[in-house]
Amino acid sequence: MGDTIEVNGLRKSYGGRVVNEIPRLTLSEHRIEGLIGPNGAGKTTLMSLITGRIRPDTGSVRLLRDGAAIEITGMSLNRVARLGVVRTNQKIQDFESLTIEDSMLLSLATDRDEGPGRLFGERDFRERCDPIIADYVAAMKFADRSAHALSAGEKKLLDIVRCLLLEPKILLMDEPTVGLPTEQTDEVMALVSRVAERQDMKVVIIEHDLDLIWKVCEHVHFMADGQILLHGTPEEVRTNRLVRDKYMGESHA
Amino acid sequence: MSLLTSAVVLGLIEAAPLILAAMGFTLIFYLSGFMNIAFAENITIGAFCAVLLTSALGLNFYMSIIPASLVSGVVSVLTYLLIFRPAERRGIGPAEMIILSVGVSFVMRYGLRLIVGPELYFFDNVAPDYYRFMGMGVTSFQVTAMALVVVLAAALYLFMFRTRLGEMMRGLADNRDLALVSGVDPTRISALIWFIAGVAGGLAGVFFGVFSFVNTLVGWNLILIIIMISIIGGVGNIRGAILASIAVGVTTSFIALVSTPLYGEILLLIFFIAFLKVTNRAT
Amino acid sequence: MFDLLTSYTLFSLSTVMGFVALATLLHLQFGLAGIVNFGVVGFWGLGMYAFGVLLIQFEVPYPLAMLLAVAIVAAVSLLIGWVIVDLNDQAVLVATLAFGTIVTSLVTTEKWLTEGVVGLGSVPYPVETGDGALWQFVVLTAVTAAIVIYAARIAKTPYGRLLAAKRDNEPLARGLGKNTSRHKLTIFVITCALMGFVGTLSAPVHRFLTPDLIGPGVTFSAWIALIVGGKRHPLGGVLGVALTIFVFDFVIETYVPVPSEHAATVTVIKTIVYGVTLIVALMFRPLGLLGPGRKRGSR
Repeated sequence: MGDTIEVNGLRKSYGGRVVNEIPRLTLSEHRIEGLIGPNGAGKTTLMSLITGRIRPDTGSVRLLRDGAAIEITGMSLNRVARLGVVRTNQKIQDFESLTIEDSMLLSLATDRDEGPGRLFGERDFRERCDPIIADYVAAMKFADRSAHALSAGEKKLLDIVRCLLLEPKILLMDEPTVGLPTEQTDEVMALVSRVAERQDMKVVIIEHDLDLIWKVCEHVHFMADGQILLHGTPEEVRTNRLVRDKYMGESHA
Repeated sequence: MSLLTSAVVLGLIEAAPLILAAMGFTLIFYLSGFMNIAFAENITIGAFCAVLLTSALGLNFYMSIIPASLVSGVVSVLTYLLIFRPAERRGIGPAEMIILSVGVSFVMRYGLRLIVGPELYFFDNVAPDYYRFMGMGVTSFQVTAMALVVVLAAALYLFMFRTRLGEMMRGLADNRDLALVSGVDPTRISALIWFIAGVAGGLAGVFFGVFSFVNTLVGWNLILIIIMISIIGGVGNIRGAILASIAVGVTTSFIALVSTPLYGEILLLIFFIAFLKVTNRAT
Repeated sequence: MFDLLTSYTLFSLSTVMGFVALATLLHLQFGLAGIVNFGVVGFWGLGMYAFGVLLIQFEVPYPLAMLLAVAIVAAVSLLIGWVIVDLNDQAVLVATLAFGTIVTSLVTTEKWLTEGVVGLGSVPYPVETGDGALWQFVVLTAVTAAIVIYAARIAKTPYGRLLAAKRDNEPLARGLGKNTSRHKLTIFVITCALMGFVGTLSAPVHRFLTPDLIGPGVTFSAWIALIVGGKRHPLGGVLGVALTIFVFDFVIETYVPVPSEHAATVTVIKTIVYGVTLIVALMFRPLGLLGPGRKRGSR
């Protein structure tokens, strides 16, 4: 069954403009879900509200796990991430001074590995991590793991890898294809699907590349003007008139 | 005469040069986005120019104000063109810019020290006229300082909000890229702002000097209070800077009257740290 | 060998060593964790004075006085750390600068504790056998070496990577589940307490504690050394101090005969050279001599 996210009466406004108004929404009931909608619909804001990056004006976000509900409204970004709700970034983000390998080691380190007194054990830690890192380096075709991620594409991939290494329960992906060549997009999504199966991970994807959404998602939410207007199978959403009028007309013109 | 009114009057008098300094400091902070510690030396240079012009050349005090402030303004522009603009172009971040400005401050201060030595200088051959104001003695210099504050603040306000150049400047401070696209020449406007700021700093130095004494540490000893005022007042907020200067002037005078001046400073700094924590402000 | 180490030489070398320790601790704070601590002198001076006051005014036994002094610095740095933990760089800089100034001012005003400008004295060496100064230098060197080794090691552990990640991009690190606020506070308190510890070791070196020992110059010297040497490199502080403070306060003072009437001028010129060095380093080699060459668009 896995974890789901339940949103209740969520509302967020900036300077009088309501950017999110969601009375009720359940996310990640299915393995891979899509969240689509025109620019400015409030998709990224919704993800930020869920992960604790910003706080809502009113309402709550709860993580339903094994029949119990964990209130994550107002929880800090890092605590939400530790609970297994992690997001990949829309804009390119990187640690300027960390190499690809360092970045992965950072993700793999747990609270127990990190402490001012933990001066020894780096070799064991690296040995423990090495096979995992090697797998991802091969899967993502990183040329040199001891180098920095240079291209925008590499940084984007590394961002996704860092999140996957945390073994999240719910992975929110904010426009994963931006900055990636098409063939790599397919590979990344294939990898994410594999990991999702293997680790019992749910995925929610924000994307403007609708072909990708129709291809990989089992369920799609459509959002516009800060509200969730429609849910359904890809087929239902794709053929819906409202979606055509409000969104696809504009982006597929 | 109650303690409170003396504190207010003394505080206002003390605030006048502080206001001048804080206006200059906050202008640069607003425009360039970093705290220019070397601004301290503009204050010192203004003070030294005035004291040397009056004692060595026998110039009238009021006549010395203008060249002193102009020299300070020119020095300010030079530091901008020679150091801070090239640094900005190299993409040095705000924290490093502050450290850089500390270096500039050191070089200027101790460079001046090589020339003038560590002694205290006094405006000894100028004597102000005395007036009575609310039962307190007020000198003509203090009145001049206050008048200059009013004039400069008004001029600055008109410049920023009523002229095309001021509008360009605000555009530049708010969004550098956008301003560049709309054809604003950033160097020319920035140089102008650094000049105005330097003039304000120089004026402040002249009055700090004439109210007490002049040595190479005049500006340095004030800079932390000036930083504080500009942050509490709100960066780039001239009215805020004025109000914060008055508040600081009155508070320190009050504490100085009931206790020692140093406690005033300590209390202010503690209050300032708390202020930073509560408002999460700076930049 | 011992004949060469006159008491003045030992004094100079001990002072220099204290700066190596401070600059390396600053490397951990600023170079590694990105905390812009402009109040170095506050923590060092508080350690020095707290120790001196406990030892002399309250006649607390030597080791206990050291321990209590470090505990006081740790407690104060916890408070300051709590204040600055979620502030931006400029605010951290002014808050810590203000803290340093407060410590200096309090030392001047609280004469009943510190004797003010008259000076608190005299702080003895832990062993008063005649070799006290030498032993103190040895201890300071050992402590400094330990700090440098720690700095070199910690950078290559999960904790070091975590701090570097926090410095580079704090929101991103938090998104990966890292509790950056807690770690920032921890490293800040540890390093500040160590600055206080170095202060307790410096106290007998100076013997008479006066407020002018703890002026902002201490903070700036440590900063200049670190920037020149290389803020990101664990040996940056060592090299920086060797090139700045060691050259002026030891080599020139010891081996260049300067007539006493020009001694003040040398100090002034020293400061100018420091300032120029700092400007040149920041403009042309922001990562210092031990850092890689200038990287385009680096912060």
